Amino acid sequence: MASGLYSQHLRDPKIRIIRNAVMGVVLFFFAVVVLFPLVYMLAWSFGPAQEMAATSYAIFPKTWSLDSYKYFFSSNQYSVKWLWNSFVVAAATVVSNVIFASMAGYAFAKIKFKGSTFLFFFILMAMMIPYQVTQVPLYILFVNKFKMTNTFTALILPGCVTSYNIFLSKQFFAGIPTSLIENAKVEGATQFRIFRSIILPLSKTVLAVMAINTFMGNWNTFFWPFLVTSKDSMYTIQVGLKTFKFANGTLLSPMMAGATISALPMFVLFFSLQKYFLEGVTIGAVKG
Amino acid sequence: MKKFLALLLCLCMILGLAACGGNNDQKDDSNDGQQTATPPADDKNNDAEPAPEPASADEDTIVIMAPPVTGDYAELLAGWITDFQKDYPHLKVEVINTSWDDHSSKLSTMALAGEAPDIAEVSYGAIGTYVEMGVAVDVKPYLPDGALDDYDQNALDYMTLNNTLYGLPLYLTIQALGGNRQMMEEAGVDVEKVQSGGWTYDEFLTAIEAGTKDETYGFVFANSGVTTADFVSIFGVGAGITANFTDDLKYAYTSENMKNLLAAVETMVSSGWMPNYAVEAGQRLVMLETGNAMITGKAMPLFENNVNKNNAGIATGEAVDGSIEVEYAFLPVPTMDGVTESCFGTVDGMIMLRNNNSTEEHLKNVGLFLNYICSGKPVAETVNQILLSCVCKSGREAQAGADLGQDARNAEASTRCIGIVKAPPTGITSEQAANAKTLMDETIVPKFQALLAGETTAQALYDEVCAKAVELFGADGCEMGFIQ
Amino acid sequence: MRSKATTLRDRRFRITLEDLNGWAFIAVAMIVFAVMTIYPVVSAVITSFQSYKPFGSEWVQFDNYKTALSNDLFYKSIRNTAIYTAVTVPLSLVIAFAVAVMILPFKRKTQSVFKSLYYIPAVASGVAMSVVWLWLYDSSPSGLFNQLLTFFHAPTLNWLSSSKTAMMSLILMSLLSGQGSSIIIYIAALMGIDNTYFEAAELDGATFFQKLRFIVIPLCKPTTLFLLVTGIINSFQVFMNAYMMTGGGPDNNTTMIGLLIFNNAFVYGKYGLACAQAIMLAIVIAALTAIQFKVAGDDVEY
Repeated sequence: MASGLYSQHLRDPKIRIIRNAVMGVVLFFFAVVVLFPLVYMLAWSFGPAQEMAATSYAIFPKTWSLDSYKYFFSSNQYSVKWLWNSFVVAAATVVSNVIFASMAGYAFAKIKFKGSTFLFFFILMAMMIPYQVTQVPLYILFVNKFKMTNTFTALILPGCVTSYNIFLSKQFFAGIPTSLIENAKVEGATQFRIFRSIILPLSKTVLAVMAINTFMGNWNTFFWPFLVTSKDSMYTIQVGLKTFKFANGTLLSPMMAGATISALPMFVLFFSLQKYFLEGVTIGAVKG
Repeated sequence: MKKFLALLLCLCMILGLAACGGNNDQKDDSNDGQQTATPPADDKNNDAEPAPEPASADEDTIVIMAPPVTGDYAELLAGWITDFQKDYPHLKVEVINTSWDDHSSKLSTMALAGEAPDIAEVSYGAIGTYVEMGVAVDVKPYLPDGALDDYDQNALDYMTLNNTLYGLPLYLTIQALGGNRQMMEEAGVDVEKVQSGGWTYDEFLTAIEAGTKDETYGFVFANSGVTTADFVSIFGVGAGITANFTDDLKYAYTSENMKNLLAAVETMVSSGWMPNYAVEAGQRLVMLETGNAMITGKAMPLFENNVNKNNAGIATGEAVDGSIEVEYAFLPVPTMDGVTESCFGTVDGMIMLRNNNSTEEHLKNVGLFLNYICSGKPVAETVNQILLSCVCKSGREAQAGADLGQDARNAEASTRCIGIVKAPPTGITSEQAANAKTLMDETIVPKFQALLAGETTAQALYDEVCAKAVELFGADGCEMGFIQ
Repeated sequence: MRSKATTLRDRRFRITLEDLNGWAFIAVAMIVFAVMTIYPVVSAVITSFQSYKPFGSEWVQFDNYKTALSNDLFYKSIRNTAIYTAVTVPLSLVIAFAVAVMILPFKRKTQSVFKSLYYIPAVASGVAMSVVWLWLYDSSPSGLFNQLLTFFHAPTLNWLSSSKTAMMSLILMSLLSGQGSSIIIYIAALMGIDNTYFEAAELDGATFFQKLRFIVIPLCKPTTLFLLVTGIINSFQVFMNAYMMTGGGPDNNTTMIGLLIFNNAFVYGKYGLACAQAIMLAIVIAALTAIQFKVAGDDVEY
């Protein structure tokens, strides 16, 4: 823990209390600003399932009801399946990223092998091509060559190891002292064992960050699932939300209800992974 | 640990499979890279077959992609397909439902990949893109004999580029203005006369001036973001610019008429009879319903339904907050002096597209289905919902007697407006069409937004458009005079 | 001479255990990478030299590049993107870093509450948030931000519809909605700093800002570099906000290069041109990234 950054002002606890209070207020204010659109979304998701006048802009709806949620679930027989599809896709992508991207990141950070610089440079370069132009070749690949329209494979594969995650884990592993690995090697551990029993336990934080970011990215992604699905039973939640009647700007409440429903699983995931963020990295302890 | 390994193995297998496919594919693609206009492979099989009958009994699947043309188009479509299959049990139809927002990006991706649906909903302005791409199909040879006689020539012209017909029209929609009848009468406007005979710019300006009160704007036009394009096209027609190109195929937005139009807009913007802020598309109708606007645009005859529904909702609390009882009047756009009156109309239709499965026989089947959904009962059911009349005889027959619950005066006004719509010239090349679209999206609309925000002048805008147009079409390709 | 050359070559090509290990670790990632990334990128490069048509493209050599480079809108969109990036990326980093540092002294429970609060906005889908922001930015006097301005007796603004404020509005939106992930990543990095560093500094009588300057900032460098590089890459490719909020207007003042590429590929069907623009964009980003790695210097261990 880096709490040593702050002086503890042991002699004069008042200073500490005031300092923390000031920072607390700043943080709270920032949180209020940042959360406002979300509160707005949540509040209006309980609004009436009808068209809204912009002239009656208010932060909260006048009447509260669950109509908009009912509207969402009754809009299509597959609406629950969409949530499940999204979950399967996002979960599978998270698992494969956490395993393979972190392995690759570790190799690029801590194993000296031929071609590593060159390949890593390539991975970085790949991030720089805007996705708009790679969608067409990928589409040709999956639809024309693999004939994979409306399959989970087509939804999962393109994101199953991302350059971003390789880069993220590499940057993180680079910060782990090399001596730790050297010592283990001297004791005869294989690279895989080192990775399994030394590196991974130290990396829960970054893996959790990777997991939640990947999950979120896949959960919210729209364009690719939109391209490779054509049956409503295979839609992900984002495709379903946009393809049915929620795109209409004036049907505010049903749209917000849909957005809230689609955001819920991520709240759950975030809170269940929270302890890993808090555990922090305990390199010091291992070293000692 | 075991679990971990098992998982790893599983994933390896999946990825391994994908990778194999991928490698083969890269080889294939290097061929594609050479781009030797490879004809669809199925063509070879087709040559060997005996002379194909239109609709031979071989099983075939037709793919159609459509946005919600009407609220429940997807359900309607499913019903028509069932009916269609009673006659043609060997033909399967697969539907891809899209949303308006993403229809065109999905369609272009599929088309670029050579996997376009056989039939897709496209509005007039976008046809050029698919013709340029080389995926649009000349439909004439593939339609059942005599099918074309059913359709109005005016509407077919919209589906025609470079004298080739690329699809069939669903309906001709007119876009003009809509007003609050009572408020307009209070402001001294003879609404019925306007509906039956049109009005001049002066009459229009006097009306919106008189209609502007504390809480009410005389005129509201949705002009936020890309909706600005509507302002240009709808008022452009009132100023004599009925299409991107004149009859002798010269670019029209460089004409004297454009200059006059811009000057008129400049006056309107600074007058205070229109909001001086950008209005979201969804809000224009709401402002009419709540009495915050006397005249609104763009408006379609269909809005009468929305307004009536809202009126009915006032009692039950389902109406928009602050609604008042509104009697909707569909209005033509004011006409500039010296110009023949016309109305902005555009055709939404279904175009036929080529993909990797397209064989002659397949295209004939596609033509059958295309004609089926664009005529008769299907099209009548579609068009009834949007308070328009069909553009084919069989559709009008199917429509006859249907009570749409439309105000007679509005129905008359809309019929009159449809009558004065002028179809675009049919000789426009796909390149011209594509360039006109680019010019509209990249120059005219952005600059027009600046004009509406009071950040540029009419003259500066006009000069810029002329400069760009000359660059694209050459000085000879631009009309600089006055279009009557 | 000869034998020396051979040994040199031998050494170069001898495959060590580390090589095998390294290759094994990256094998899956690389296979996926080859199929899902390299293949489409190579294909895009090829297409950039073609007048692309699904059935029968033609080779046009550098025509697409020439067209792109002679188009004013291309430069304008690059300028817009550069402005957007130059403002949002550094500001985001500063905000995220400051927030992360400020969260540290609190108790675990409080920390986790704040972290969740900041992260939560990121979980809502972009489309839904754009709708909310459109409402906030509504230009009519009853728009929420305009009501706020009226409350302070300031004149109302045309937010997204005026050339003067449109870009600013997009930047504000990005600053207020995209920090969650960076804050979490910074906190992870901060928690990884060994307390012994601070203890040693404390003995030397270092102040809070000295500790920040000489310990925290240097030790967070890999993280900062990561956030900077990915931030710039993302920001240069930004597309969704302009697409959803302004459509590039008014007067093309918010036309980002990502939007231009999207329009060329999917609206105008000029896919070859879009590829050429994308590749030039990639080159610009690559150059910027290379500079960042150079400037970040040698004290970062890769």
